[in-house]
Amino acid sequence: MAPKSPSVGPRGFAVIIVAALAGILLGVHGWSARHNGGFNALGATHPPQAKSSPSSGPRATSPTPPSHAPTAGPSRSAAGPLLSAQSYSSYSFQVWPGTPSRAATAAMTGLKVSVKRQGSGISVAAGVVGQPASAPHFYPNGARVYIIEASMGDDSNSSDYNLGDDGLVVTDSAGRIVQ
Amino acid sequence: MTGQRGTSASRSVTSEPIGRPAPLARQESTATRAVQTAERITTEWGPTAGRILLGLVLAWFGYHELVHPSLWTGYVPILQSTSTAAILAVLAHGWVLLVLAVALVAGIAPRLAAAIAALLLLEIVISLTVTAGLSDLTLRDVGVLGLAICIAGAKGQRLLLTS
Repeated sequence: MAPKSPSVGPRGFAVIIVAALAGILLGVHGWSARHNGGFNALGATHPPQAKSSPSSGPRATSPTPPSHAPTAGPSRSAAGPLLSAQSYSSYSFQVWPGTPSRAATAAMTGLKVSVKRQGSGISVAAGVVGQPASAPHFYPNGARVYIIEASMGDDSNSSDYNLGDDGLVVTDSAGRIVQ
Repeated sequence: MTGQRGTSASRSVTSEPIGRPAPLARQESTATRAVQTAERITTEWGPTAGRILLGLVLAWFGYHELVHPSLWTGYVPILQSTSTAAILAVLAHGWVLLVLAVALVAGIAPRLAAAIAALLLLEIVISLTVTAGLSDLTLRDVGVLGLAICIAGAKGQRLLLTS
């Protein structure tokens, strides 16, 4: 006996059409905001979200094209708010100084963070595995580097499939965000 | 009168077996009825609950893929995750997921919608397995794939919008 063909009906068609139109509208919105996602690496074109909205979580911004000369822009010398005062501080894992913990290592899944001693400070570069890293940036001694990972559930093996909850934060010796 | 007495005695023997205390037998009877009720409810409403929950899963992913496509391009196989083509692929995928979700939740051709969802999930499982190996993420999607297959084959759905 052949299975009965699905009966949709005019109301069902109407609902599907409304859903399709809503999907198109959402897609247009997503397309217009397509550059507002990704790993919040060093060298981002926008300041960290934490500076403008203390209550918000880590947000992603667009990475800049890579270069290989360490830079230290004037905007990075100004210390921001305390990392410990941010809502996402519980999702931050220290990767420098010292050996990253297991949690920090897990949080770095799919990301590459390079910290090197350089003169009187450190040079930090970060990026997504498989993609060019951001330009290295120089920070004076005492700087601490943290990886932000709000959810480990999107990490699998060596891949992080959702970079929207990832970020990198550098603080000064007092724990104030400088990047 | 005699016949009625005989029937009454027969019922008494059936409901309370010799050698078993009456309260225990009544407890077993209550437990049996509870199990039967649970079975009936599960049989009648299980596919519907599974269908709606699957729809919610697809709706969540579809919505987020449409609103923040750049966060999901890492899942797109072959294409560079920063490419425009990857963004468009995520948007198209999210749109299909959203329409399927509405069809599943509203009960519009649910078996067809679940079958299409199963195909999408199969593609995702294969893609994840090829790119990242067998992982926790992949196995979670295997479970959702199994749910979609069950819904595609389940008859007796309730709360359908058929006409």
